[in-house]
Amino acid sequence: MSETAGDAKSEVKQASKEVKESENVAEKYSAMTVSRNSEINMGELSSVFSAVPTHKPVKKQIQFVEEKQEFSRFPTKTGRRSLSRSISQSSTDSYCSAASYTDSSDDETSPRDKTQVNSKGSSDFCVKNIKQAEFGRREIEIAEQDMSALISLRKRAQSEKPLAGAKIVGCTHITAQTAVLIETLVALGAQCRWTACNIYSTQNEVAAALAERGVAAFAWKGESEDDFWWCIDRCVNTEGWQPNMILDDGGDLTHWVYKKYPNVFKKIRGIVEESVTGVHRLYQLSKAGKLCVPAMNVNDSVTKQKFDNLYCCRESILDGLKRTTDVMFGGKQVVVCGYGEVGKGCSAALKALGAVVYVTEIDPICALQACMDGFRVVKLNEVIRLVDVIITCTGNKNVVTREQLDRMKNGCIVCNMGHSNTEIDVASLRTPELTWERVRSQVDHVIWPDGKRVILLAEGRLLNLSCSTVPTFVLSITATTQALALIELYNAPEGRYKQDVYLLPKKMDEYVASLHLATFDAHLTELTDEQAKYLGLNKNGPFKPNYYRY
Amino acid sequence: MAKEKNHIGGSWEDLAVPEYFPEPYTEERAEEEEEDTEEAARDGAVKCSPTLLRMLKAAESRWTPRDRDKAEPSKLGRKVSEAEALKTNMKIQLNDQQEEFNKLPTKAGPRPLSHSVSQSSADSFSSVGSVSSEDESPPQKKLQKTSKGLTDFCIKNIKQAAFGRKEIDIAQQEMPALMILRKRAGGEKPLAGAKVAGCTHITAHTAVLIETLAALGAQCRWAACNIFSTQNSVAAALAEGGISVFAWKGESEDDFLWCIDRCVAADSWEPNLILDDGGDLTQWMYKKYPSLFKKLKGIVEESVTGIYRLYQLSKAGKLCAPAMNVNDSVTKQKFDSIYCCKESILDGLKRTTDVMFGGKQVVVCGYGEVGKGCCAALKGLGAVIYVTEVDPICALQACMDGLRVVTLSEVIRHADLVITCTGNKDVVTREHFDRMRSGCIVCNMGHSNTEIDLASLRTSELKWHRVRPQVDHIIWPDGKRVVLLAEGRLLNLSCSTVPSFVLSVTAATQALALIELYNAPAGRYKQDVYLLPKKMDEYVASLHLPMFDAHVTELTDEQAQYLSISKHGPFKPNYYRY
Repeated sequence: MSETAGDAKSEVKQASKEVKESENVAEKYSAMTVSRNSEINMGELSSVFSAVPTHKPVKKQIQFVEEKQEFSRFPTKTGRRSLSRSISQSSTDSYCSAASYTDSSDDETSPRDKTQVNSKGSSDFCVKNIKQAEFGRREIEIAEQDMSALISLRKRAQSEKPLAGAKIVGCTHITAQTAVLIETLVALGAQCRWTACNIYSTQNEVAAALAERGVAAFAWKGESEDDFWWCIDRCVNTEGWQPNMILDDGGDLTHWVYKKYPNVFKKIRGIVEESVTGVHRLYQLSKAGKLCVPAMNVNDSVTKQKFDNLYCCRESILDGLKRTTDVMFGGKQVVVCGYGEVGKGCSAALKALGAVVYVTEIDPICALQACMDGFRVVKLNEVIRLVDVIITCTGNKNVVTREQLDRMKNGCIVCNMGHSNTEIDVASLRTPELTWERVRSQVDHVIWPDGKRVILLAEGRLLNLSCSTVPTFVLSITATTQALALIELYNAPEGRYKQDVYLLPKKMDEYVASLHLATFDAHLTELTDEQAKYLGLNKNGPFKPNYYRY
Repeated sequence: MAKEKNHIGGSWEDLAVPEYFPEPYTEERAEEEEEDTEEAARDGAVKCSPTLLRMLKAAESRWTPRDRDKAEPSKLGRKVSEAEALKTNMKIQLNDQQEEFNKLPTKAGPRPLSHSVSQSSADSFSSVGSVSSEDESPPQKKLQKTSKGLTDFCIKNIKQAAFGRKEIDIAQQEMPALMILRKRAGGEKPLAGAKVAGCTHITAHTAVLIETLAALGAQCRWAACNIFSTQNSVAAALAEGGISVFAWKGESEDDFLWCIDRCVAADSWEPNLILDDGGDLTQWMYKKYPSLFKKLKGIVEESVTGIYRLYQLSKAGKLCAPAMNVNDSVTKQKFDSIYCCKESILDGLKRTTDVMFGGKQVVVCGYGEVGKGCCAALKGLGAVIYVTEVDPICALQACMDGLRVVTLSEVIRHADLVITCTGNKDVVTREHFDRMRSGCIVCNMGHSNTEIDLASLRTSELKWHRVRPQVDHIIWPDGKRVVLLAEGRLLNLSCSTVPSFVLSVTAATQALALIELYNAPAGRYKQDVYLLPKKMDEYVASLHLPMFDAHVTELTDEQAQYLSISKHGPFKPNYYRY
């Protein structure tokens, strides 16, 4: 494990330097190739691909990291994966947008073995290299620009210190964006100890900057499985400091505290969990009657759900397809399998670019919605011969089967926006008569004996995770939701929350949304007293009944 | 997973429940779902939930040949109705006013609490006129007899039956879902033994519903829920078909209650189901026939007002039968608000003002379902849209949909068009009016007539000038004109028609709710107000898919197992937002 990690790191380091520099260049290139495209022969896709040399290193790095991550996660999470219908964008993948590119020193000794002291003399942290703090600070400042919601939360609540006395242990991706969250919590009065929820996602310089500011951060990029648990343990287990809140992403920290420190666990005032996996674990605990503290499921809040699925996918489907294939959408026949939130987003985006969109659905209500939105609802088999692009977002398995792949026309693009890698039956394509040809990272041509090619993206894994980035705005929504959930749990009067898993109250959800309105320069109308009375509402919300569907 | 979903649903409901909307059904929903899963198999086997495939086949065979036949009559019908609609604007308005007047005494209280007005409930009548005969003697006094000798009904003129039958035939073309339902049930009679007392608008569309219920084995007695909305010819056709109908156009308040009473109190006939729209029938039975009321198997209520009454009864512990709130079913809600308004906003504005939308600056107040529909439609025509909103979540949705969120005062000076759909009151005030530019069009898509502060415009310095029915020019002393549509009442009710597709969704939902209540095993429903089970909701949607020639994909066994849901639904957890 540690060996491969080492290998990966050096490669990552090299490649990641190119990321920042070449990203723009690459975009320019791809823009150029599109225009060149029209002069060349549209049929010869491979010649177009070779015209974009700068893409390769960039993509390779991202892909590499992700594969490793999946590998390292599997032992602990395979079982539960299949149960999570939707994957939280911000949870699973904040790391892929922000790679750490100042990777430290050639110093290869494990951070665990080093003695580290920040400029104020504190040594209660463990990061790769504390000297990178200044650089990380700049990263955090950049992130602050895009996360104005948290900054305005700081301003609004700074005087009250709603988290005064809160001792929060956190386990999330450690990136510039989460750093903004952590420092917001500190500004609101909390004491924080933090660790990484993923062994590859940590931005070392950000961790250093946090440590420099006095947050006890235990994380570095490329931890081993052993390091990972050691960090979590150091986070929880300190003298004279007992956590009373948990902020978790993935449930590992909660699990650790529950198993190893049952006494600490009992005294926790609340758990905030972000990921689908973690939420599932909490529900299991709660069902077994072993959850002795209230927990908040922030994954299913209205705002976060809409941003993770509808809005995020609406953008990333285009981004992902463009980056990988440079396809032009106008007039293309696209079939979108599934018309849930993700499907709605994809269909809307593609329709806007002039694609002819077909929808397949199993749920008659969603099917009727698709009809009313002007999409043809068909079965995949009816249109499989005609379509140029197939996008799966059902959350189901084997939606596109070998039989259907056999009937596709030459050049059809197949990708998955839905759920892990089950939707496309990729295994059935690994047969000797089919030739696989990797034309660039994340793009495979599968070639039939008769010369037909099908273009498979990201090997059937999630396109939006593999081939596009998560916008900071989405991360900001998540971070704000987490912060508010912590405040709510910490300040709730006794008895409001029992030992169960809760959804974020609608009022908090509305508050998250309202903090983000400033970004759009949106001006909210306020109810007059009279109007509020007429509607039987409080002037400050909640504005909708719980069953409202938005 | 299914269980986990339940759990999420459960704890979600545990959270703050809004005070203004009674909560009772929440726990029941969870329970209901549990029971549903238990009984899913049974449901699948018995009556109304065949495999989708089978249903689709039935639907196709029914629909394809008919489509060809349909072309001619429907074209004709449309022409007539369009021509009439323009001419009859005035009349419709009159009805509407009177209706409001007539309803006010009974409904003023609950109204403000209803956030959305059900399109199909409030106004199925506005799309259909009715030919009235010259005979002015009150129908109660007349001796009436059908060709088959039935005398247990009371309508205007039985001789109009043939004409009414034609109306119903046309309506049948427009409501294929019910026809599919009839055909599907075919041999089985899921409502055999059901005695349904109904109180709805009596129009060709409801006639199709009533006859569907009869075809499914129910015995029906029917009264009108509105004194002006009855189509006499349709009532005649129903009576001729053997259904006891008590309704005519232009009843007095006394007549109205007399009809309801006749409907309930028949010799040797005790209703066991109620289908109500507005709650009047329920109220009457509860007050006058408490012994009958106690024996009811279920109540299906469509209107917001009626549901509010039911919740009050239930809160007071006086509801002694399960009631089904069909107004809030997913399919119906979506059709009543978003899809219906998306079309009627354009229709209503075009009919009244002939405005061209491209490049116009439009302010839409409120970004709920109705607001979303209006914005989508206007954006499609190239209008520049601003949104005002009080709820930050909806405001953020508007932002992400590319609309500017502003306060009304900011943009009122350059708005060409102001549309209110908040469900609130005094959203557009006199002060806003004073600052509007000349020619600005103001209309209301939201809720009754409270959104625009009309009273403030009835001052001596402003001149009102009616330029055509439903369109008033209000002229300021300096010559500025503001165009006010439908006097601030609902534009979509006053100036456009409700598509029969929407009525079809409502009728299908009602029919399925009745079937569900009647066939539910004892104990599934207690004495409370319920939402339509998701499975039924999905079934309503699936009945309408053949009209789009939409082909729903079927899960393989393996896939169903992977998702841990039944192949035939319900497909989504209760908290799913669509």
